[in-house]
Amino acid sequence: MIDRRLLSEIDWILVGLLLLNSALGCFLIYSASSQGPGDPYLRQAAFILISLVGLFLAFSLDYKILVAYSPYFYFLGILALAGLLLWGRLIAGTKSWIRLASFGLQPSELMRVFLILLLARLFADFRRTHLSVGMLLLSGGAVGLPLVLVVLQPDLGTAASYLPLLLAVFVLAGITRRQVALLLILALVLGVVGWSFFLTNYQKNRLVTLILPGHDPQGAGYQIQQSKIAIGSGGLLGKGFKQGSQSQLNFLPARHTDFIFSVLGEEFGFIGVLAVILSYFFLLLRLFQAVGLSRDRPGVYIVFQVAVLLSFQFLVNVFMVIGLFPVTGIPLPLLSSGGSSLLASYLCLGLVLNVRMRRFVNI
Amino acid sequence: MESNRIYEDLSGVQKRANRLRVAIEVLFLVLVFFYWKTQILDHRKYWKLAEKNRIRETIIPAPRGLVLDRKGIILVKNIGSFKTSLIRENTPDLERSYRSISQLLGLPLEELKKRVAKYRAMPPFKPLPVKEDLSLEEVTLVDARRLEMPELIIEAEPKRQYPFGSFAVHVLGYLQEISAEELRTPRYQDRRLGDLIGKTGLEAEYEPFLIGRNGRLVEVVDSQGRKQGEVEKLEPQTSPSLQLNLDFDLQKKAESLLEGREGAIIVLDPRTGCVLALASYPTFEPNKFIHRFTPEEWQAVVQDPATPLENRAIRGLYSPGSIFKLTMSLAALNLDVITERTSFFCGGEITLYGQPFSCWAAGGHGMLDLTSAIRNSCNIYFYNLGKRMRIEDIARQAQLYGFGQLTGIDLPGEKEGLVPTPEWKKAKKKAAWYPGETISVAIGQGPLLVTPLQVAAHTAFIANRGRKIVPHLLNPATAIRRDFQSPDGADFLLRTGLRRSAFDKVIKGMWESVNREGTGRAAMIEGFDICGKTGSTQTISTESAERLAQRKIEVKTHSWFTGFAPKDKPEVVVTVLVEYGGGGGATAAPLARQLFEYYRELYQNGK
Repeated sequence: MIDRRLLSEIDWILVGLLLLNSALGCFLIYSASSQGPGDPYLRQAAFILISLVGLFLAFSLDYKILVAYSPYFYFLGILALAGLLLWGRLIAGTKSWIRLASFGLQPSELMRVFLILLLARLFADFRRTHLSVGMLLLSGGAVGLPLVLVVLQPDLGTAASYLPLLLAVFVLAGITRRQVALLLILALVLGVVGWSFFLTNYQKNRLVTLILPGHDPQGAGYQIQQSKIAIGSGGLLGKGFKQGSQSQLNFLPARHTDFIFSVLGEEFGFIGVLAVILSYFFLLLRLFQAVGLSRDRPGVYIVFQVAVLLSFQFLVNVFMVIGLFPVTGIPLPLLSSGGSSLLASYLCLGLVLNVRMRRFVNI
Repeated sequence: MESNRIYEDLSGVQKRANRLRVAIEVLFLVLVFFYWKTQILDHRKYWKLAEKNRIRETIIPAPRGLVLDRKGIILVKNIGSFKTSLIRENTPDLERSYRSISQLLGLPLEELKKRVAKYRAMPPFKPLPVKEDLSLEEVTLVDARRLEMPELIIEAEPKRQYPFGSFAVHVLGYLQEISAEELRTPRYQDRRLGDLIGKTGLEAEYEPFLIGRNGRLVEVVDSQGRKQGEVEKLEPQTSPSLQLNLDFDLQKKAESLLEGREGAIIVLDPRTGCVLALASYPTFEPNKFIHRFTPEEWQAVVQDPATPLENRAIRGLYSPGSIFKLTMSLAALNLDVITERTSFFCGGEITLYGQPFSCWAAGGHGMLDLTSAIRNSCNIYFYNLGKRMRIEDIARQAQLYGFGQLTGIDLPGEKEGLVPTPEWKKAKKKAAWYPGETISVAIGQGPLLVTPLQVAAHTAFIANRGRKIVPHLLNPATAIRRDFQSPDGADFLLRTGLRRSAFDKVIKGMWESVNREGTGRAAMIEGFDICGKTGSTQTISTESAERLAQRKIEVKTHSWFTGFAPKDKPEVVVTVLVEYGGGGGATAAPLARQLFEYYRELYQNGK
């Protein structure tokens, strides 16, 4: 199933960037969690190994086959999400985990991979220059169903991470201005309805904090305020490895997951931030480059969705930790501690490698 | 999937993909810009905030300085005590926290909330005092819940104690919690919320001296306020003790003499101005101010018609009555209105400006010269002086001798009294001065107002034959330097043209008043040569007093006595005022005699 010639077409640069960023994540988690119980960095290293297996699986099987079977994956994913809502146990306030021995798995993270494949299949034969209303509704529905299931868990952050996939396919399929306007209006209506009926006070607070960062410094604004202090106090060169007072003295919340970038900012300063942004930027550039190299329409859709997804997650997280985006609970892909998110990211990148190495006809 | 082997044209799709890519690249640029702004441009601001998070500065309060009497008896000291404070930011649920604290310490929930609400404007993470003077059980209770309730902390602090209760309370003063307004004034800029500051008396006067220098503890803490290391520690420095001139025994004697009455007693040394005793009655319990009054107790103290909080010795305003005849004599001699031999006839009554004025002795005193007039405290004699002098001249002389101005004692809140002038009357009462009022002023009635301390200082001025003193409680020879020299200086007589002989003439009258069956005879002590003057001041207007007298209704007058001893080498001045005490000779003079006697026992027999 995997050819030697194919192996030589693997994008080793992308793999290298991937491993570099993962190692960086492990390193930051080590620094961030030296005070707490357990060894999250060892767990993260284990996750990386498991994810590498996933990566291998994701590129060894021809993506065309994966795309062909995507409806079954999707269906499985929906079943898992629905089952969780019915039978799942509440862990950390949400029903998003399936427990496997000492590790937990979040089906909502894997659902993202299935969605990428399903959307690629839906648009495989879509050759018109503009997005049709039918396709808009179909793809919107396909994403909307799991999104609603995840919102009900409730895990707003993961649910929101499905949206860049829609954005990616809409852009590729040629969404018209009128459709954009209609979607915006729809989003506004949903937003107002959601605000008045569905958002909890806690979530509302986070949005208010974005607009008024000084309000309630001990409540919702506390995390953002402490994160900004951590990053700002890092200065140009940072306070040094394990020397950040904000991170080491517990002022920084969720510092090895969602706020891992603040630890970087505090301990390694602007130079460290710039280095990580650059390494991430090159990774994303490599992904966008792969869009141009894809042979067929499903390939383009897969690679582009992954590129937009990772860009979205990275930007949202990194804008969030300096207070320019509400605290949504979107982790930093590859860098934040967390197995499911890491595995999902590796699977996505495996798909990109898959598409790229099979770019030549008849190989 | 038939298109497998065909290169399809994907350029349109890829063009659109590129557009989104460019947008993302722009967002990366924006991202770098904001990190540059936060980490490079605003670095200092965030650095400071991070340091503020990390570093906790605790003030280690210095115990307040002790206060000692002249023999070294400790009048005010400190004992150890514990208080508990609330750090609002350390609890996720303030409401629940209030409930547990209320239960834990047995404080009513509303009272607790009200107390914390007082500090609403205070910066976050400041400990807000919740309860002081904890018992050992309470300390254990709070300490045992250190981990469950990180918002509640225990602080040890020295507590002020007045071992003799209400003894000399008006002199010593008391402490009270600093108010939010005071906290904003420069005088208290280094003080903290919940600090106790001297509100009255010496505690307030010498506050900057007594507080000593607070120590400082700089620690590294984590987000829960747990200590992670120590940066700096500065031990507190206690101020040296405040040594007073006050004599414990004399003060105690003075207070016991006043017990059950309302009034004031001052004993001072005319040579130096050292105050040996300064008592005001009724009194109150100063330790209560530290424990905090219950609302009922506080209302009772504040609304007590006997005003126990007032220091009558320096803040009580009274007519001087016949005491002022000394001042009139000095003024008349000084202005050459009379000489020592000038005599007037007292027939018991005199008509001046068409109005009858009477002497206290119904039958009259016959012919008297100045000495006899002072000895018998004859009103008619001084009415005659009042008729021959202008009110402006009387006022100027009275002010020259110290009335109508502060004595300068080292106690806050002293009142300056009032020496009336036509200008004053015009400004205050919008009326012209009547000559008849000058007649009233001549015997110390009318709008004239003095404090007992002014009378004592005036007496010292006479005893010193024209040298003024500034009464003071502090012994300036010890730790704290303060100048208590009179601003009028040693050349006072030269500048004012006042003759030393005039004082001798007045003192002769005072001596006879006590030792030659005068009005002050009840103060006499064989061989101590006390010179004094009594006063009985009407507390209502002359007209209504006479009306009541006709109906045989007795109106009690304020009772004065002021004097010094011995005559030729004065070393002690005693001034007594008893409100509604009746005649000065009957009430105040015997009290003064006991003090002179006790003084003699303490200071002369021991020699």
